[in-house]
Amino acid sequence: MSNEILTVKNLTKVYGKREAAAKALDGVSLSVQEGEYVGIMGPSGSGKTTLLNCVSTIDSPTSGSIVIDGQELTRMRGKALARFRRERLGFIFQDCNLLDTLTAFENIALALSILRTPPNQVRRRVEETAELLGISDCLHKYPYQMSGGQQQRCAAARAIVTRPALVLADEPTGALDSKSSRMLLDRLAVLNEEMGATILMVTHDAFTASCCRRVVFLRDGQIFLELHRDGVDRKTFFARIIRVVTQLGGEMEDVL
Amino acid sequence: MFCKLAARNVRRSFRDYGVYLLTLTFGVGLFYTFNSLDGQSAMVFLGQNGNPIVASIFVMMDVFSVFVSVVLACLILYANNFLLRRRKRELGTYLLLGLSQGQVSLILFLETGIVGIISLVLGLLVGFAASQGLSALTLSMFSIHMAEFELAFSMRALGKTILYFGIIFLIVMLFSGVQVSKAKLIDLMQGERKNEELRQRPLRVAVIQLVLGVVCLAAAYAILLTFGMAIAIAVLPVCVVMLSLGTIGSLLIFKSLSGFVMKFAQGNPRFYFTNLNLFTLRQWLSRVHTTYLSQTVICILLLLSIGITASCIGLNSTIEGNTDEQAPFDITVQNQSGDVELVDFRNLIPQDLLEWQYDALFYYNDPEITGVHEASAAVRVTDYNALLQRQGLAPYTGELPYLQEDYSEALVTGSLGLTWVVVSDETAQRLDIRRQIWCADYAVEPSEAETQILPLVQELQNDVVVRAESRLNLYADLMGSKILVLFLGLYLGFTFLLSAAAVLALQQLSQAADNTGRYHILRRLGAEEKMVARSATQQVALAFLIPLGLALVHSIVGMKAANDIIAEVGKVDTVHSTVVTTLMLLLVYGGYFLATSLTCRRMACKQR
Repeated sequence: MSNEILTVKNLTKVYGKREAAAKALDGVSLSVQEGEYVGIMGPSGSGKTTLLNCVSTIDSPTSGSIVIDGQELTRMRGKALARFRRERLGFIFQDCNLLDTLTAFENIALALSILRTPPNQVRRRVEETAELLGISDCLHKYPYQMSGGQQQRCAAARAIVTRPALVLADEPTGALDSKSSRMLLDRLAVLNEEMGATILMVTHDAFTASCCRRVVFLRDGQIFLELHRDGVDRKTFFARIIRVVTQLGGEMEDVL
Repeated sequence: MFCKLAARNVRRSFRDYGVYLLTLTFGVGLFYTFNSLDGQSAMVFLGQNGNPIVASIFVMMDVFSVFVSVVLACLILYANNFLLRRRKRELGTYLLLGLSQGQVSLILFLETGIVGIISLVLGLLVGFAASQGLSALTLSMFSIHMAEFELAFSMRALGKTILYFGIIFLIVMLFSGVQVSKAKLIDLMQGERKNEELRQRPLRVAVIQLVLGVVCLAAAYAILLTFGMAIAIAVLPVCVVMLSLGTIGSLLIFKSLSGFVMKFAQGNPRFYFTNLNLFTLRQWLSRVHTTYLSQTVICILLLLSIGITASCIGLNSTIEGNTDEQAPFDITVQNQSGDVELVDFRNLIPQDLLEWQYDALFYYNDPEITGVHEASAAVRVTDYNALLQRQGLAPYTGELPYLQEDYSEALVTGSLGLTWVVVSDETAQRLDIRRQIWCADYAVEPSEAETQILPLVQELQNDVVVRAESRLNLYADLMGSKILVLFLGLYLGFTFLLSAAAVLALQQLSQAADNTGRYHILRRLGAEEKMVARSATQQVALAFLIPLGLALVHSIVGMKAANDIIAEVGKVDTVHSTVVTTLMLLLVYGGYFLATSLTCRRMACKQR
């Protein structure tokens, strides 16, 4: 019954040429259903960031196809790509990437301006989203006046205020302390469950990954294993993730 | 090895050096152009027969060249310092890799030297071309035909330019060397970290600042317009008060403007939340708190540039190039020792040079005899009518004695310095001779005639006091003044304009480099390249247009005051000066704006 939001087929990405060539992605296939919350784990160099960059249209794959919401990304160019990016995708990055010269409110509003949202709706939508993420009281602040957690939630608000088909998160908790991490993850879970946002998150952190409903493990540019939460509570899921991580042993020791 | 590194650095950082090099080249070119006057045809023409006007033009240009070179030196130091700050990290890396501070200084020293030599060569080429243009322009101002235009190259200007700019570059080289040797490694490595304070000031503060600023400016304008330009500039207490009020006013307006505009924009969501307006305005606001000072300086430089150029061009067109009214005859020689000895001009001057001549006498006015008190001299009606007739005027037939009261009427070429009463020939015979006035028209080319006549007249100086004034001389004097004000206006105008535009361009380019990260975020949010590029252009436009706007308001008021003075001398020609000033602004300021916005656009759209 659920639609496929993202379908990645046989994705390959090669950096460099001839002898210097390095395969960052080697035939990855993946599909994400609407309303899913998928985590991607893997050691450094396993290709998870490359995968995310390809999906987010920031990088283009060497071969294979990416279909988001029924549209084939690899055939899109320039203007159409920018349009697709602003209408269908939302981004959350590790270094939250807020514009330092804008207040939190303006950072979120800018995403709507770029989307050409009617100006009279901007204020309401920003305030609604901010409330959802618990940052209503720091909307007038500049990024440097906010804590890391608030900044990251602000970035999350910016990512979802445009109601994208797919939210892409790259190590969203990477720069946060544990308390802020929990708060952000809690909010992302609410977004996923209550708002039905589809989230694809790349992470190093097993705890962060345990919030997802499905975790995909990458190794050397290939999918190594998939874990489904299947309704178990987070602690159990966390333990299963840890088991996979330890099972991988030395190869993946930097996962933790 | 250091030479190679330095040369590579210059090549690689050409984008940063581009504007710097352009400015240096223009500066050198400007300097050469206005110092290479000695070879120009017009100057050769004006200088014939030892006319002192040419020497005074050269002296004025020399004096102002010192001033201009100081302004350019400050500009170059500023630009250099600016580039150095941008390269802190690079310099820090050199030190980290184990180069000594002396070696890093040497690299910088060489870099400055390379850039200096390149710009000197390019600038001299530009200057050579521009000086021919200036020469042609000067020639075209002459209403009579004279020497043909020919290419001129001035060794003196070449030497002077190399000397002045050599010194400037040496100072800059030493300066960068000292900067590096004083710097600490930690400061260099963390030099890129910027801590800007972003604070939106309450609207109330902005309103108070704006009102205060407008009041200050209004007061300054009022002082200028009520006292007039002459008093407002020459009387020190008035001048200082006016200038400080004007400066403070501009400062306050620049400081408050951003807050004001932001508030209005935020109150207007249709504007604020459309396109990247929100981002563009915020970018501007984030800088204004730190750049309002430089904006004020730029505004003042622009004002100086516009004001000086416009008034000089205005003055230039006011000075009437036509000397016919003041010089009815080709030559007039006044023998001021007429009471002692009369000169026999008919025998002295070769008659084949002359088409017409007349020897008139002026007498001491004795009120007891003439019955007129108001005149210092008297002239026979026969002489008076002969001079009038030659000018094609109707002879005087009315009652005698007749007191000539129309002081604008030029009876002879040059000034007599007398008021006179026309008396009958009989009355004149009872008066004492005061001056002998000999007037003549040439039968041959004026310059040819004068090369023979003037030395002969000069010889007379041994026995009597004579003063010779020729139409050609008067014309040369007038043209000399005309050319002098034109040159001064263009020279200073270009210098100030160049400085203002270069400072703005450097600031904008460095900001664009800081902004690349921000544009990257915008692109990830899905902003189209066109949107990003437009925002980049708008930011440059804001930076260039706001100081220009206020400077234009200042100059309109200033020109009003200046024109009041010019009006006392002659007729005011605002059209001419406005056209020339606008052309200059478009050329230099517009050129810099275009170059800057194109570079900023390219930097904004650069692929990751």
